[in-house]
Amino acid sequence: MASAVAETTNPPAGSTSPTTRVLKETLGDAVTKVDEFRGDLAVTVARDSWVKAVQTLRDHPELDYKLFLDICGVDYLDKDDHEDRYEVVFHAYSVSKKHHVRLKTSCPENDPKLPTVTHLYKGANWFEREAWDLYGITFDGHPRLERLLTHDSFVGHPMRKDYPTAQRHVLKTPRERLLNVPEGSEHMLMNIGPAHPAMHGTFRVQALMDGETIVDAEAELGYMHRNFEKMCEVRTYWQIIPYTDRLNYCSAFMNGHGWAMAVEKLLDVKCPPRADAIRVILSEFSRIMDHIVCIGANLVDLGGITPMFVMFRAREVIYDLLEACCGARLTVSYVRIGGLADDVPQDFEARVKAALEACRTAIADGEKLVTRNPIFVGRFKDVGVMSKENALSWGWVGPALRGSGIAYDVRKDHPYSGYDQYDFDVPVGDVGDNYDRYLVRMEEMRQSVRIIEQALAKLPKGPVITDDRKVALPPKSEVYSNIESLMNHFKLVYDGILPPKGEVYGYNEGGNGEQGFYIVSDGRKFPWRVKLRPPCFAIYQAFPEMIKGGLLADAVATIGGLNVIAGELDR
Amino acid sequence: MGILDIFKGKMVDPTMYPGVHAGGDVVTTTLDAVVKWGRKSSLWPMPFGTACCAIEFMAVSLSHYDMARFGAEVLRFSPRQADLMFVAGTVPDKLAPVLKMIYDQMPEPKWVISMGVCASTGGFYRSYHVMQGIDEIVPVDVYVPGCPPAPEGLIAAIMKIQEKIKNGEQAKRPQGENRLGAPGDGAIDRRARRHAWALDDAERAKQGLKPRGVLELRVLPNQDETPSHG
Repeated sequence: MASAVAETTNPPAGSTSPTTRVLKETLGDAVTKVDEFRGDLAVTVARDSWVKAVQTLRDHPELDYKLFLDICGVDYLDKDDHEDRYEVVFHAYSVSKKHHVRLKTSCPENDPKLPTVTHLYKGANWFEREAWDLYGITFDGHPRLERLLTHDSFVGHPMRKDYPTAQRHVLKTPRERLLNVPEGSEHMLMNIGPAHPAMHGTFRVQALMDGETIVDAEAELGYMHRNFEKMCEVRTYWQIIPYTDRLNYCSAFMNGHGWAMAVEKLLDVKCPPRADAIRVILSEFSRIMDHIVCIGANLVDLGGITPMFVMFRAREVIYDLLEACCGARLTVSYVRIGGLADDVPQDFEARVKAALEACRTAIADGEKLVTRNPIFVGRFKDVGVMSKENALSWGWVGPALRGSGIAYDVRKDHPYSGYDQYDFDVPVGDVGDNYDRYLVRMEEMRQSVRIIEQALAKLPKGPVITDDRKVALPPKSEVYSNIESLMNHFKLVYDGILPPKGEVYGYNEGGNGEQGFYIVSDGRKFPWRVKLRPPCFAIYQAFPEMIKGGLLADAVATIGGLNVIAGELDR
Repeated sequence: MGILDIFKGKMVDPTMYPGVHAGGDVVTTTLDAVVKWGRKSSLWPMPFGTACCAIEFMAVSLSHYDMARFGAEVLRFSPRQADLMFVAGTVPDKLAPVLKMIYDQMPEPKWVISMGVCASTGGFYRSYHVMQGIDEIVPVDVYVPGCPPAPEGLIAAIMKIQEKIKNGEQAKRPQGENRLGAPGDGAIDRRARRHAWALDDAERAKQGLKPRGVLELRVLPNQDETPSHG
């Protein structure tokens, strides 16, 4: 595969970009505002032209925003610079043209309504439902506007700014039925989860069974909804780092990496090269850890526990490495805005080499045990097939999208943290079944090993955190020896980082693909709004559709292969 | 091998079984002591893993830390076959009835380990959808601190449970049952809990009050009245 590097990360935005031009040509005066901030293009349109604008973005050959990313609400309560209280924000990406777009529209408080775009993008369904659940923005024409993340006894819309952060409601009984069984039907309703081993503790699926075949299925989520986004609104930019670790907890470091990059983009600060290289090394180790858990747990669900035992050994060695770096095994909190918390230990190189050796062994052993195993191949081949077009429309990213044959990898297409210096390949599948996704993950682990080897070979010397004193704390030696640094330290801890007003969408390649942090800052020390664009959310959304018509046992094989992580799914 | 041969080995605590005669060939003890010894040496855990802690629980149950050394490796995903529940991870309000149902389905005697701060206190998720500790609804025997706890911490918790079994201790009531302020939240039986809630709601309705846990917002959803703020 060509390892050429995309030269630009974003096309020229603002009034010169094709997106703005086409939208202005098509919609005329309905385009009310075009913003460009830190290279992000944001177009605001009138509410009446919302569907037309989204359709233009998707269908116009010059724009081709086929990959659905995100729809979310923002509440601008009592903000003078916003006439209407609510704003709905849409993100999409064009795989062919390699650019992102943000489309916004606003709804007044007394009429928070918007037409749905579920007929344009399949993935919009749950995202709109979530926006209704959390913000109370109604989407006209939406097929099923019900509670998604919060429970049925919940009162109010919790992400609204006037909702108290810790106001709980008690759920007395869970929802009994997700599906309606037609009168006189002989089909059996089968409930799987949430406390079912194959559902990994927190997902729930109800399937209508005709013998062994699934006729209809519906998924429920929210069993791990622990309010990452609401907590972000009452925490400073630093304090959010531990929360990000608990999103995709199988690969905690990468989430912090993404968050730090998004805030660095907002602040326009640069991370020193040594920190970048260490971030890359640990991110790639996290990717290996993530894939090990995904493949291992998938096989445990199917009844084969040996690969888990064999491959988990590598995880233990990586845990040791992480523990040596920052003191924690799983939830590392190692990144800081503008760099890293501390330099790596002196025996870092030896530890990395030991971990690499363990990874190589684990991958080789796993390969021997699994890849050509006839039982495994029989369970995985041609099961859970997802076509390219559907994958894009559902908003799939990462290994799942690449398994369907689309080579979109943020590390390659929009290199960050110096990924452009390393030589690596992006594996893609061709059928889009479980077996392809498995093979993509296996190959990605090998590519990660390659990246780590290269990064370790040219690990630069120097500081690991920026010297921008508005972002990073001064070193302790200075704090204890001069008054300016002491004051600086005090001000930073007390006031936090004060970013400029504006909004950015920062993204990196997480274990499950592009994880984007959409941050709205109003210039205070707390973010006004943080929206995580969770890769799993879109992937799991397609799951009920994927298993329809298949066997029940295949559903178990499919969900494991999708690597749905509850912390990231429900946030 | 008869049961007495087991007592010959190191497992025998002479203070616990004072009646060891003839070099361990004959042991006089109580049935209770033998039953407790059996229980503590063959715990069957039910992992109620929800979040990050479940990954660390995996590490404990797999080869490196090897929970089998403590006789607790037979993971049962059916609560009806388990006597020790690990609650590993955050339990949001949506999951609470599920947790309660699973706890109720476990046969007596049963023990609960609350793994990590989220399960113990809600952790740093002091927010609208997270239960502030599972002891609002189930009795907890051992709390393990940490986010997530180190594997050694979890192993220590298993040993604490064994100690509790030896001493015949078991948590009987949810420690934080009154935390939410509604009576009956911590009733052991879920029917009793629902009954208490219903009585409380009816009592409050008589006084013209709304049921507990219902919030009045400035803007209520899906209502026709024109909302306003400020």
